[in-house]
Amino acid sequence: MDPLLALGALLALLAVSTIVGLIWRSRQGRSSAPAGLRVALADLGETAWPARVTLLQFSTEWCSRCPGVARQLGRLAAETEGLAHRELDLTRAPELAERYRVSQTPTIFLLDDYGIVRRRIDGVPRPEHLRAAVTEALRSPHVDYSI
Amino acid sequence: MSTIPSSRSPIDPRGPRFGAAITAVLLLVVVFLGLVGAQAAALGLLAVLAALFAWGAFAGIERHPYGAIYRSLLRPRLAPPAETEDPRPPSFAQLVGLIVTGVGVLLGLLGVSAAVPIAAAAAFVAAFLNAAFGYCLGCQIYLVLVRARIIRPAA
Repeated sequence: MDPLLALGALLALLAVSTIVGLIWRSRQGRSSAPAGLRVALADLGETAWPARVTLLQFSTEWCSRCPGVARQLGRLAAETEGLAHRELDLTRAPELAERYRVSQTPTIFLLDDYGIVRRRIDGVPRPEHLRAAVTEALRSPHVDYSI
Repeated sequence: MSTIPSSRSPIDPRGPRFGAAITAVLLLVVVFLGLVGAQAAALGLLAVLAALFAWGAFAGIERHPYGAIYRSLLRPRLAPPAETEDPRPPSFAQLVGLIVTGVGVLLGLLGVSAAVPIAAAAAFVAAFLNAAFGYCLGCQIYLVLVRARIIRPAA
């Protein structure tokens, strides 16, 4: 291949990789609404939901950003009425990772006091998305599930 | 939750990213050499990169030569890291790099010279994403493999 063409191919490779990286980054930390996911209290080792909205953080030992996110969420819960923060270590509980479809850490669930996952955030949460999701979850009316 | 019961001490997460940046550039060179027809040079360089991946995978990322360069030249000039990270996933990422480049080297030795730039391009994407965006492909695969019980984290 002509060297100039090869250089062009390199640039194309660089461009494609950059686009992939930007897409990945833009999808990190946004909240989404999962369908029909519910967390069992037993998995948390609690007997009752600690607040109207619980920020459940899935972490692993080797997740470098998890401690920082835990501090951030802990602070948010401390200063927000009706909000609690809990952390679940998936390191030795791969069955929990499968049950709740966690493929990266941190992953954060916004749970109501029935354990229903209202929103989930995969990756380090973006502050605006987190705030909006928490506000919306706290404001939502309680729904009576007859299940 | 913040204590890591691993037997290996946490590392500065910028070290592996620095190594990934060097690796990414060298992988681009391999792609270029392969595309312009310098097959022997491309294969040779890819083999060197595969050997470096093997070093990182089996000796651990902490003992990688790029890490030594980072620690002696760059880190003294930088503020301490905001957070440290467990060395296991980046070391596993080196294993992923070894597999990809190793396949390229093997196929190249068997005469499939197109495999060399292709493998280098694939490895480049992973190294580039890690260096430029902090994305750790190996870390993501690590969790998926733990979920599939293929890896058990050391108790």
